Amino acid sequence: MTLLLVVAVTVAAGLLALAGVASTLARRRIGLLHLWGAALLEVLLLVQGALAVVQLVRGERLADTPTFLGYLAGIVLLPVAGALWARTEPSRWAGTVLAVAAGAVGVMIWRLLELWEATGG
Amino acid sequence: MAETTGDRPATGEGPGRVLVAVYGVFALAAGARAAVQLSTRFAEAPVAYLLSALAAAVYVVATVALARGGRRVALVAITVELVGVLVVGTLSLVDRAAFPDETVWSAYGRGYLFIPLVLPVVGLLYLRRTARTPSR
Repeated sequence: MTLLLVVAVTVAAGLLALAGVASTLARRRIGLLHLWGAALLEVLLLVQGALAVVQLVRGERLADTPTFLGYLAGIVLLPVAGALWARTEPSRWAGTVLAVAAGAVGVMIWRLLELWEATGG
Repeated sequence: MAETTGDRPATGEGPGRVLVAVYGVFALAAGARAAVQLSTRFAEAPVAYLLSALAAAVYVVATVALARGGRRVALVAITVELVGVLVVGTLSLVDRAAFPDETVWSAYGRGYLFIPLVLPVVGLLYLRRTARTPSR
């Protein structure tokens, strides 16, 4: 885990959430912009996840590795699940659905960093 | 997938889809947490971790029922959820020793911005509202 990537994920998630809420307020469906945003967020999460797994394999020790891996598995699912669930919604609420997924990512990534920084004794 | 049952509107469309999304996030979060607790340290606090698993199961059932328009199942699941968050929330404050580890419902969901406390209320109101108005 690197702080730089955590911040990048937070910013991407924040922008995606804003774009989602904006489309709901404008009474519009989601567009390509939203899907690209979700894709970018997913790529950032996968890079972060891959880096973390590599560091774990190389011997990094955490206080609570199972919880970390559980959260990691969950967080990489969120943008994909959010995008799929939003895409089939024909109304303006699709944007809010994406915003919920993005918001959850933005919160969970900091929880992940916390779990990462708690090293095992 | 989200078919309307009878003349009542679907619960997994329009604003209901947002509700399903929030429930889905909690199903995921509670599920991941319960899976880790049960598989790595079940013996430390069996009751608390079984309640944690129950919470996860309730969120999963509510998510699926709302998404598919199963109103009766959704109503039962969300009611169990409301009772659960109130009971576990109270117990976790009264008897801290029995709940050594945070669960989703600990202290009324304080660790989750109290969303676990608000969510079932919103869910029940939403079910009521959509049952009465035939169109969205």
